[in-house]
Amino acid sequence: MLGVLSFVLPLALWSAVSYAPFLWHPLVEITDPGDVAYYSKGMRAPADAFAEEVEGMTASGQAPPQGIPANPVYLPAPHEVALALWAAATPAADAREEFRLSSSLWHSIQIIFWAFLISSAIGVPLGILCGSYSAIGRLTEPFVEFFRYLPAPAFGALCVAVLGIYDGPKIAIVVIGTFFQQVLIIAGTTRRADYALLEAAQTLGARNLRLVRNVVVPAVLPDLYNDQRILLGWAWTYLIVAELVGTSSGITFFITQQARYQHFENVYAAIFILGIVGFGSDLLLARLGRWLFPWRRTTA
Amino acid sequence: MSASPDEVRARFDRLKAREPILQVRGLCKTVPAKDGERTILNDVNFTTHRREFLCVVGPSGCGKSTLIRTIAGLEEASGGEILVAGQPVHGPGPDRAMVFQGYTLFPWLTVLGNVMFGLRMADKPKEEAAREARQWLDLVGLEPYADAYPHTLSGGMKQRVAIARALAIQPRILLMDEPFSALDARTRARMQAYLVDIWRKIDVTIVFITHDLDEAVLLADRILVLKTGPGEVVDLMEVPALRPAAGRTLDDPALRATLERLEGFIHAHETVVDDEPVTPVVRLASVAEEVD
Amino acid sequence: MGSARHFIRGAALALLALVAIGATAPKASAADGPLRIGYSDWPGWVAWQVAIDKGWFKESGVDVDFEWFDYSASMDAFGAGKIDAVTVTNGDTLVMGSGGSKGVMIMLTDYSNGNDMIIGKPGLKKLTDLKGKKVGLESGLVEHLLLLNGLKKAGMTDADVEIVNVKTNDTPQVLSDDAISAVGAWQPVAGQAMKGVPGAKPLYTSADQPGLIYDVVTVSPTSFAGRKDDWAKVMKVWDKVVAFITDPKTQPDAVKIMAARSGVPPEEYVRYLKGTKLLSLAEGAKVFKDADGFGSLYGSTRNADDFNVKAGVYKESQDVKSYIDPSLAGAK
Repeated sequence: MLGVLSFVLPLALWSAVSYAPFLWHPLVEITDPGDVAYYSKGMRAPADAFAEEVEGMTASGQAPPQGIPANPVYLPAPHEVALALWAAATPAADAREEFRLSSSLWHSIQIIFWAFLISSAIGVPLGILCGSYSAIGRLTEPFVEFFRYLPAPAFGALCVAVLGIYDGPKIAIVVIGTFFQQVLIIAGTTRRADYALLEAAQTLGARNLRLVRNVVVPAVLPDLYNDQRILLGWAWTYLIVAELVGTSSGITFFITQQARYQHFENVYAAIFILGIVGFGSDLLLARLGRWLFPWRRTTA
Repeated sequence: MSASPDEVRARFDRLKAREPILQVRGLCKTVPAKDGERTILNDVNFTTHRREFLCVVGPSGCGKSTLIRTIAGLEEASGGEILVAGQPVHGPGPDRAMVFQGYTLFPWLTVLGNVMFGLRMADKPKEEAAREARQWLDLVGLEPYADAYPHTLSGGMKQRVAIARALAIQPRILLMDEPFSALDARTRARMQAYLVDIWRKIDVTIVFITHDLDEAVLLADRILVLKTGPGEVVDLMEVPALRPAAGRTLDDPALRATLERLEGFIHAHETVVDDEPVTPVVRLASVAEEVD
Repeated sequence: MGSARHFIRGAALALLALVAIGATAPKASAADGPLRIGYSDWPGWVAWQVAIDKGWFKESGVDVDFEWFDYSASMDAFGAGKIDAVTVTNGDTLVMGSGGSKGVMIMLTDYSNGNDMIIGKPGLKKLTDLKGKKVGLESGLVEHLLLLNGLKKAGMTDADVEIVNVKTNDTPQVLSDDAISAVGAWQPVAGQAMKGVPGAKPLYTSADQPGLIYDVVTVSPTSFAGRKDDWAKVMKVWDKVVAFITDPKTQPDAVKIMAARSGVPPEEYVRYLKGTKLLSLAEGAKVFKDADGFGSLYGSTRNADDFNVKAGVYKESQDVKSYIDPSLAGAK
């Protein structure tokens, strides 16, 4: 119930600001420029300047401009975004592929998928080893700790030089952005493995790698799974910069291109869809987690 | 009910004539502290014999947990030696199994999987391990729960699984660190009966730590009494009764007297308790589970 | 899914690179296969889309791959040797070359004819009105060059205004700020800036100084030397493109193609096209004559070189001649 409300409230606030002119609406969208030379239809003027023009024009007997209160172009109203969403869902047959939200999104999802797979394939085992063997941890973690502060986008040009202009560098940037955090987070989680279980396992004859594989990993697996969910969200945030490298593609290219031409209703539509994809996949993964780790139901 | 002193003496003569299984000689344990070192255990000596049931009691901070963990090989001795069947102990080994106060069952494994764990670590083939594990589960009366996950079991059942899991590797010594202290009184009484019953059936020596003196008197052949600051052996008391059994009762005047003697020891030494809490510096994660 | 293989290869490459980054040297330009050209969102470059969509390259017997980039990403890709050519301004060709990614300008696409502008707040009419005021623009970029050019003509210097460094995309918001009197931006950002502050108008535009900024196709010297015939074919296609876009009969079709590439409605795109003077090969040939002044690519580029050095974009003046190859574009 509260969960629904947590979405309804911001939506209500947004609608109020968009549709109740007395709340904000600092501008006037001009519907008829009248005799004001520099006004044109569709322009948004500050409300006070507009009032002055109306007064001035009326006083001098010329046609006053007409307009309706409006918000800045950066804040489209809900119905405009809804229309943009609808338009995105039903693209014109001749629309370029990059401007179909669905194919942009699909492209981005594939980038994330591969990047996360690569990052996890190395980061998770390395993190577990760092967390299990303090020597490996001490050898690896200082560098990782240092490197994670370096901004992944700064490696864009290098990634292009090494990996070409298509998806390679984009994947690499998401990997760089995710991997180092991943090692540290996974190592930290591994260290929190219940020590009593490790001792019990040792008294039952488990040693070294078998101890890691048969006790440490399963003991922290539900937590690792949750870490991975968080890291996946992290990977999505790196997508924004990754997709500006190399050839333009994907959902963030769609967003920046639409923002450049100030089609903010499309920008918001894309942002919403990203949110829905992210939130939806997380819900799905959370549910999958409950199914995968039944023993967590009571202990978690 | 009460056994005659002669019967008791004869019984302990027989017990001591059996081969020694666990020999602790001059065991010391020190840990680093603010001002250099502090001694947890000082010159601990005792021997237990095959199929003996030894209880260890002592006031809080006397190092009884450290003692059993050192025997298990989870902690390193600072001096002295521990021999199991004549062989010195280095680290954990399959000749010693341990049951912890906090159950420590693997939550991701079924009851059967938990009992199989040690067998699998010993490279027993899966089917053989499963077959053996089921026998051990049968022994503790939990065969019907083989496929259940630990979190669905009660505390007493969990501890029975833990006992089956420990026994499955067929250790010479079963180390038990306050195994029943988290259970309610009725369950505890039942578990004590179970344990004695199992112990009678199989060839295992039990070292059992408890802070419950009644429990020690009801279960033990002999009771090792430790004092605190530093942990030293005060006495190795013989319980004047026949075999440890569910049939023992504290109405027995001889046992009553033993209990009173024990209480005397503990109280005498409890006043000496250091104001500084004794925390094993190692392994913070498990400390919460230990109530010394 | 045709791009699946792309992904798998990209992923595999990324993996490789992580294991041993830097072990793979950038691949040299292929001796055959398509010419790879990076282009980005500027009307003079989006114009190529007409030829791409109409299949004119194939007709002319030249194999080209146009890759769509963000402008700065396209320069990175050229710098990394991943594409054979890139559409840039003449000034940025020098910038890339000073950083070690030498390219030669082999042809012109257009010059900015009003699409770049300095926009003043309502009430300001001329550049001289900016004396002592703050101007927001992206330092070192073409609007900076445009402002300096305008100030010089107005008898002022850069000391007479205070330049505030802002991202071009942010100039519409910056112009609304009380402290800022003017901004420098190109279309479509410039249009948005004026829409947001009614009464704001251009004080100086690239139309006031044609040739200040030339837009060119810059090619890697290796590719140009090795495949000159193919590049000649590409240039022939360009003439067809210019004719198609400028002919009023075919212009709506052209605008539709270009607007779709940029993702805007065609009616909106016409405006941006107006501020760009596309150059046919014949028109370009005149500009490829070495002369001083903005009527020549040489003069314009030398001016850009001076500016780049002064603005600290790079330290040493570049040899402009080495950046221009008139062998195809120059008059026969």
